[in-house]
Amino acid sequence: MFPQFGATAETLSKASTMVFRIGTDAHLYDDPDDVNIAPLLDSKYDSEKCEALKRLLALIAQGLDVSNFFPQVVKNVASQSLELKKLVYLYLLHYAEKHPNEALLSINCFQKDLGDPNALVRAWALRTMAGIRLHVIAPLVLVAVSKCARDPSVYVRKCAANALPKLHDLRQEEHNSTIEEIVGILLNDHSPAVVGAAAASFASVCPYNLSLIGRNYRKLCEILPDVEEWGQIVLIGILLRYAIARHGLVKESIMSSLKCSENFHAEKHVSDDNMGLGKESSDSWAYDSESVNMVFRCYIESPDEYLSRSSYANRASFELNGAQFTSGKTNDDVKILLYSTSPLLWSNNSAVVLAAAGVHCIMAPKEDVKRIIKPLLFILRSSNASKFVVLNNIQVFAKAMPSLFAPHHEDFFIYSSDSYQVKALKVEILSSIATDSSISSIFKEFQDYIRDPDRRFAAATVAAIGLCALRLPRMAHICVDGLLALTRQGLFLFSYFVLSVCLDRIKVPAARAMIIWMMGEYSSLGEIIPRMLTTVLKYLAWCFTLEALETKLQILNTVSKVLLGATGEHLSTYKKVFSYLVELAECDLNYNVRDRSRFLKKLLSYNFVSEGVEEITCCHVVVDCIFKKQTREVKAESINYRVYLPGSLSHIVLHAAPGYEPLPKPCSLLLDDFNKPEGTCAIVKGAGDHGTSSDPSDNESASDYDSQHSFTGSSSGAHADDNESSEGNENPDPLIQFSDIGNASEIQDGVFHSSPANLGEISNRALESWLEEQPGSSNPGILEQSQACKSLARISIGDVGRRIKRKSHSLLEAANGNGLKVDYSFSSEISTISHLLVCIEVFFKNCSSETITEITLVDEESNIASNDDVPTLVPMEKISSLEPGQTTRMILQVHFHHHLLPLKLALFHDGEKLPVKLWPDIGYFVKPLPMDVQAFADKESRLPGMFEYTRRCTFAGHIEERNKEFGDSLLNKDKYLAICESLAVKMLSNANISLVSVDMPVEAKLEDASGLRLRFSSEILSSSLPCLITITVEGKCSDPLNLSTKVNCEETVFALNLLNRIISFLVEPAY
Amino acid sequence: MPPLMGIEFLCRVSDVLSDYLGGLNEDVIKDNFVIVYELLDEMIDNGFPLTTEPNILREMIAPPNIVSKVLSVVTGNSSNVSDTLPGATGSCIPWRAADPKYANNEVYVDLVEEMDAVINRDGALVKCEVYGEVRVNSHLSGLPDLTLSFANPSILDDVRFHPCVRFRPWESHQILSFVPPDGEFKLMSYRVKKLKSTPIYVKPQLSSDAGKCRVNVLVGIRNDHGKTIDSITLQFQLPPCILSADLTSNTGTVNILGNKTCSWSIGRIPKDKTPSLSGTLVLESELERLHVFPTFRVGFKIMGVALSGLQIDKLDLKTAPSRLYKGFRALTRAGEFEVRS
Repeated sequence: MFPQFGATAETLSKASTMVFRIGTDAHLYDDPDDVNIAPLLDSKYDSEKCEALKRLLALIAQGLDVSNFFPQVVKNVASQSLELKKLVYLYLLHYAEKHPNEALLSINCFQKDLGDPNALVRAWALRTMAGIRLHVIAPLVLVAVSKCARDPSVYVRKCAANALPKLHDLRQEEHNSTIEEIVGILLNDHSPAVVGAAAASFASVCPYNLSLIGRNYRKLCEILPDVEEWGQIVLIGILLRYAIARHGLVKESIMSSLKCSENFHAEKHVSDDNMGLGKESSDSWAYDSESVNMVFRCYIESPDEYLSRSSYANRASFELNGAQFTSGKTNDDVKILLYSTSPLLWSNNSAVVLAAAGVHCIMAPKEDVKRIIKPLLFILRSSNASKFVVLNNIQVFAKAMPSLFAPHHEDFFIYSSDSYQVKALKVEILSSIATDSSISSIFKEFQDYIRDPDRRFAAATVAAIGLCALRLPRMAHICVDGLLALTRQGLFLFSYFVLSVCLDRIKVPAARAMIIWMMGEYSSLGEIIPRMLTTVLKYLAWCFTLEALETKLQILNTVSKVLLGATGEHLSTYKKVFSYLVELAECDLNYNVRDRSRFLKKLLSYNFVSEGVEEITCCHVVVDCIFKKQTREVKAESINYRVYLPGSLSHIVLHAAPGYEPLPKPCSLLLDDFNKPEGTCAIVKGAGDHGTSSDPSDNESASDYDSQHSFTGSSSGAHADDNESSEGNENPDPLIQFSDIGNASEIQDGVFHSSPANLGEISNRALESWLEEQPGSSNPGILEQSQACKSLARISIGDVGRRIKRKSHSLLEAANGNGLKVDYSFSSEISTISHLLVCIEVFFKNCSSETITEITLVDEESNIASNDDVPTLVPMEKISSLEPGQTTRMILQVHFHHHLLPLKLALFHDGEKLPVKLWPDIGYFVKPLPMDVQAFADKESRLPGMFEYTRRCTFAGHIEERNKEFGDSLLNKDKYLAICESLAVKMLSNANISLVSVDMPVEAKLEDASGLRLRFSSEILSSSLPCLITITVEGKCSDPLNLSTKVNCEETVFALNLLNRIISFLVEPAY
Repeated sequence: MPPLMGIEFLCRVSDVLSDYLGGLNEDVIKDNFVIVYELLDEMIDNGFPLTTEPNILREMIAPPNIVSKVLSVVTGNSSNVSDTLPGATGSCIPWRAADPKYANNEVYVDLVEEMDAVINRDGALVKCEVYGEVRVNSHLSGLPDLTLSFANPSILDDVRFHPCVRFRPWESHQILSFVPPDGEFKLMSYRVKKLKSTPIYVKPQLSSDAGKCRVNVLVGIRNDHGKTIDSITLQFQLPPCILSADLTSNTGTVNILGNKTCSWSIGRIPKDKTPSLSGTLVLESELERLHVFPTFRVGFKIMGVALSGLQIDKLDLKTAPSRLYKGFRALTRAGEFEVRS
């Protein structure tokens, strides 16, 4: 109308925004490219560099790839300006993974910054360094983190705690023990801010290592209110897990009320007698014990157990015994947990409130649980998204203890601004907490809701009214009257229509049954309903097999009702539907359904055949009786789906989300666990992991070792020397004999003296020839041999091959794979196809109750142009089917190209695709290269200086082993051999290498293992370069030993990574 | 990560960003993208919140303000990143910047209340409650230790506190004892339930027949608090089956927006007449009568009174400085104030 005015307004507003935007970075965002960025980056002025980086950021924000500036940007990391640093870090973190080599250039600067006096500089350097996520620099980051964990600045320590999960994400197992150690240090920090961050890293790094919490439990509880809110959320969960694992459940809590129900009834009677308000008080304790039990069982059960339970319908599998309970009134640890979490119910952060409420709900004595109600209701007043989450949690609480929420029913009245999901949840909660006294006001509200413009919600309300009627039989007439009033108003026609449309949205069996009942009841009402009945009935027939029991029965009833009332043209259709349904029902699994169908068939067929008026009325009478009984029969809805821990993501999405962990088993954490060395897994995990499988082999290895003749396994014949077997068996003393296959007779009765000083003398030159053959993997007998080098004696340790135990990794958990469990372990087999391929043994196990078909593993990235550098998978044969409980082993061959990043695979089964990740192990990027000592020394001398890497570590494996064998009267066993064996076994089980020799100094002293030396050799798969490993031992036999591990190899980066891997598994305790 | 934690964190991010940028929309974010990047980097690290305390953030990354804008234009230097680590990161009261200095020591305490009410079809008050916040604006030197007490704390149904509030004094005596952050913050929020009356009444009358619906809405003051009720508005969503609407009012203006939302802004209620809205709605051709009725959402503002009746008793400062100025205010707004028809 006024174009000129519009134009001026536009220009005006433009002008005003121009004024407003002065001084902002708007111009950089609008035209990031209008100057040449490259020269700016090389400018000598910080301000120009800053501008260049801001332009780059703007380009990133607009979705462009500016990684080509990486080298120039990295140079600026050395700048002194903090703003510039920050901008460079932002850029670096964005692109570091794309340019690992250039990113390495920045490492020196970070190292320098870590020593800066400014705490902010140190913290940022640490954050960025850890955030770069390159496997190569992980050891450096680890050093930096452990240094920063002791920094005087709180902020830096906090950043160190945050850096730990980043390191852990790299999945370099060699660092795990160090990382856990640092977590322990940080959890013990005196600053609440650090403890919060440490709790977060604990939860993501080692959530099972609860013994770490045990040491600081009290301190953590006391510091909890001062920890910052985000840390509180995580810490509350950890403390709860610890308390349950350590002390079990509180017997006064509602969660264990079922167990104590008898006592509880007794108490109730007492209170009835004593108090005038006895009736009232006993009502308030009337928890829905079945739901409580169900909820509680779900909290503790892992998804695996749930799967197995549901598939075998073994409901009794979960039993609690009295020992798993503790008293909340006498147990100080539980008391302090409740005491320190109770003020958090007033927290400003709703996630904290919910976490604290979860603890109280599970652990608090019954009479104290009510304190969580008001805070929970208070946090309802927030955004729609959080309202939904909170309501979801309240829903479970309310089902378990409706009486506590009943007085607050007003809080669940809806507002028009609520989203549909929130409204539906509120109505459902209302229907479950309604009591005789509140039903009238709730019902009034419901009547208003039925007029809501959102018809889905109106339908949900009608279903809720039905539920209320079922829950409160005394009030049912009000509900029914109300519904009938609706029908009279004609509105019902509409809601009827809506109901039938919504039928497939409403999943609760009780509600479905209710709606179907109404359809049958009012099938002859009005004009429209008879016309749409056919469609509805067809729909019901179609989904009959998928329905729950009560719904099935109701469908049968409804169809027969319709059939009885039907006349005219639809009769034949109804008859068809009816006979179809009856046929289906007769084959039903449930006998109730079968009975009902036979009964109705008989009744109605008789009716149709005779067509007598009297019979029809008779049938009507009979059917009416059934229907009246039926509505009474339907049970109140119980929680019949799976429930997850309050506040968890799984709780909202209703399936076990990745990372979901149920509560630990009550009392699974024993006091003894505190005495265990750090880093051991303190929680007894669910059945079926390696814990059980390793036990027999440990025992076996112990017996194998004390005398190689007394093998119990059938394969022992292949290794044991037959000559000696008889006498070995008779020898009760665990003396170790040294012998030799070739010349057994010469030395067979030589006894190994515990004084090693004379080892050199006993040595037999004649045995040297035997040593030429490849040692290490499967040779029995104990040999000692003087070497060319006079000062060293050579030992041969027997039979380590049998003790090699490959570590099994999990590729797919049964819970995520619909019951298919896939584990893999690296194998020492050499591929028959190409020497570049690594063989991996994959075990497919079907944990579900159904046959899984068409399993195959495919490389996910294979369709991308097959670059030489990308790890590739040799296509695997398909497993056509896997029966329940069956396990199949497959050999997978992968060309890793020395990539340490996980290989993304796609697992197909039953036509379904699941992404999985395979973590490579550098220990298997090599293959054994048998050689003699001479050749080894020769090669070693040609790889000096920069081809040689050494790292030191401590080793305690032999002590663990001795502790295990303690009971087997093996005290006299030779300690040297024990050390050599445990070292060799550890090496050979974790890397594909061959043992060359084991040497010990001739002049070794008693109890002193210093000078012991093991040599291993291998060849890199891709380059066929030899890779030599030497381990030298220092220290006393009975103490943890200091090892110095040396790797000689031409490929230095590979050697360094291999060395790190070796150190890590040497340090790692036996599992 | 628990979902609620994620939602809370996102809310916090949006609070901080709108605090920094004076609003939150696409343009503002584009204009200040560097600051947004820097803030996000500081607020979250590897998926876990790092620094979310606004005071510390403000010290680390300076908010854009007029002075810095002008400076940056003049000098060409626009660094907004602090060179040193804020002292508060290490202290046990991270919400308080280290040792601010003020010439005038002032504390202002505001009670800001929102009234949630539902009035059902019969005109009965189904639910009426107040959600309130105690907002404090403090400009105090050094490390002040404040105590605040209410005259009638028993009316509070439930409370939530800023992290600075010590829990134990509240548990034992219902006294708020705290070291305040600098500047404006929300000290506590509270809820008062089961109130008996609302300050204004809304009486909608809808009658429909013959494809039409007559609407008549009356608004008036129920009981006089002695304070004027400001900016009264009434909003309702027309049912989807309505083709056209013709609505007029005797006071204020009526607007029907594109999404069939009708909004009637009354402002102050005049002394001489009762505001009323009347008119007819035309239904879709097949429909004889209206089956779904709109819900009216009411907005109002009352200065100077806290409708919950909560009263502040006294505010004390331990180690009082020479001159302390204390101020108290109250304000009540409509929250979810709904009248069903």
